[in-house]
Amino acid sequence: MRKARPIPGDQLAALLGGALVAIAVAAQASAQDAPARAWTVPRTLDGAPDLSGTWETATLTPLERSVEFGERLFLTAEEAAAIENAERDLTEQLARPSDPDRAAPPVGGDGTPGAGGNVGGYNYLWLDRGTRMFQLDGGIRSSIIVDPPDGRLPPLTPEAARRAAARRALYKENAGDNKGEAWWLGIEGPGPYDDPEQRSLGERCLLGFGSTSGPPSLPVTYNNLKRIVQTRDHVVILVEMVHDVRIIPLNREHAPQGIRRWVGDSVGHWEGDTLVVDTTHFGKTPGLASASENLHVVERFTRVGEGTILYQFTVEDPTVWTKAWSGEYPWVATDDRLYEYACHEGNYSFEGILRGARVLEAEAREKSGGVQP
Amino acid sequence: MSSDPQDGRRNPLPATAAAVGVALGLALAAALPASAHHAFGAEFDPNRPVLLRGVITKVEWVNPHAWIHLAIEKEGGAREVWMVEAGTPNTLLRRGFTRDSLKPGTRVIVDGYQSKDRSNRANGRDMTLPDGTKLFLGSSGTGAPRDGRDPTEPAEAGPLEPAP
Repeated sequence: MRKARPIPGDQLAALLGGALVAIAVAAQASAQDAPARAWTVPRTLDGAPDLSGTWETATLTPLERSVEFGERLFLTAEEAAAIENAERDLTEQLARPSDPDRAAPPVGGDGTPGAGGNVGGYNYLWLDRGTRMFQLDGGIRSSIIVDPPDGRLPPLTPEAARRAAARRALYKENAGDNKGEAWWLGIEGPGPYDDPEQRSLGERCLLGFGSTSGPPSLPVTYNNLKRIVQTRDHVVILVEMVHDVRIIPLNREHAPQGIRRWVGDSVGHWEGDTLVVDTTHFGKTPGLASASENLHVVERFTRVGEGTILYQFTVEDPTVWTKAWSGEYPWVATDDRLYEYACHEGNYSFEGILRGARVLEAEAREKSGGVQP
Repeated sequence: MSSDPQDGRRNPLPATAAAVGVALGLALAAALPASAHHAFGAEFDPNRPVLLRGVITKVEWVNPHAWIHLAIEKEGGAREVWMVEAGTPNTLLRRGFTRDSLKPGTRVIVDGYQSKDRSNRANGRDMTLPDGTKLFLGSSGTGAPRDGRDPTEPAEAGPLEPAP
């Protein structure tokens, strides 16, 4: 009689895997035979709610509610359809053929405000911001912000308002005020293009723009996928835009105050079936517009259905907003994959922006007879 | 085919055409984000409109923005190569387009504005084929017929999943 040999690890794994598959198949067959059962929260082997997977966060629902809807959290089906149809109509309109005999666009700019910067950006087909207003609690929401009750950001503190105005005045080309001139020559203090480190973290490929990485994580106009990987003691969120990664240790204290990060220092813990993530210790310019290094964000992730995470957050920064504010929206499971976004790979625009500023400055000096303004 | 990147300046547009241009600009404005990877206003010069008619020589399918290279023929036969800035390839990959969808040799028309550094770069404000058709068509995320690829699109009207 032969002596039984120990089973090598890989074979054992294969055997166990086969057994698991057999059990799974049996369970599936049983599930098919059984009447439909209520959905239950999927769990990891550790028993924690399973948040892992790839999630789509695009939505047409805005962060701030349109003033016309007042304190109404829910829209009627007709109101939501009007917004969705307007977006669809615009998309269809902008996808129509252009005049093949068209001339160049107007001298002096085409009037595009915002990031289009008076030069029009690029074709709309490159954007991907979803087609629907999201639904929660059985209704169609009017905004992501739920508190204050008007669905709008609370007022800025006077000092934050002053800072925001100064920033808008200095970086006015970013807001569409683009005349193609080196207007900044002669102003007090640094000009907007003097130093690469003055430019935004987004332009520098260091962080996704529009607080897509968060926290809080907000929808943007493309690359809205998030991938969550979860272990017993960590949750990691990979953000498609600029491949930002948030590493969230569980059941730990914050790192020392002196350690500052662009996405802050996050620690998480489970409260029942909800992952609660507390983030502080931001750098001077968090991804969230207007926020400061004093930003504090609490996020809550809850599985509320087979294909949905309810994402909730509260933001406070007493040096910026006069009160805390909160929002929520669903992250929807997707079979799609995140694509690599190697932002530094082809960031020609950044060198172009800085070099363009030098050219405009040289032209301005030449025009003024070589006199330093 | 001749092309003068400055012809928008040499031949001022009729008022109606300019008005249409501005209207389209505003329509695009309504669609474009308040924030973006970078401000096009920081990079491109509104005083240097261009209309480029040329042949694609290379497609740089890179992030944060794809760049499409064109060869255009100047009056007198001189050849000039331009680079045109577009959006993230990720969006188009998601709709089934790849770097090979746009072949070198394809004739295109681009209108936009030249970069402030005066190099042969422009934004692809509107990129079309010679008959005016947009270079890429079809989408799941921005309003094309519902094809089920957009996960935020419920199969039927009704709530996604009510919260407990």
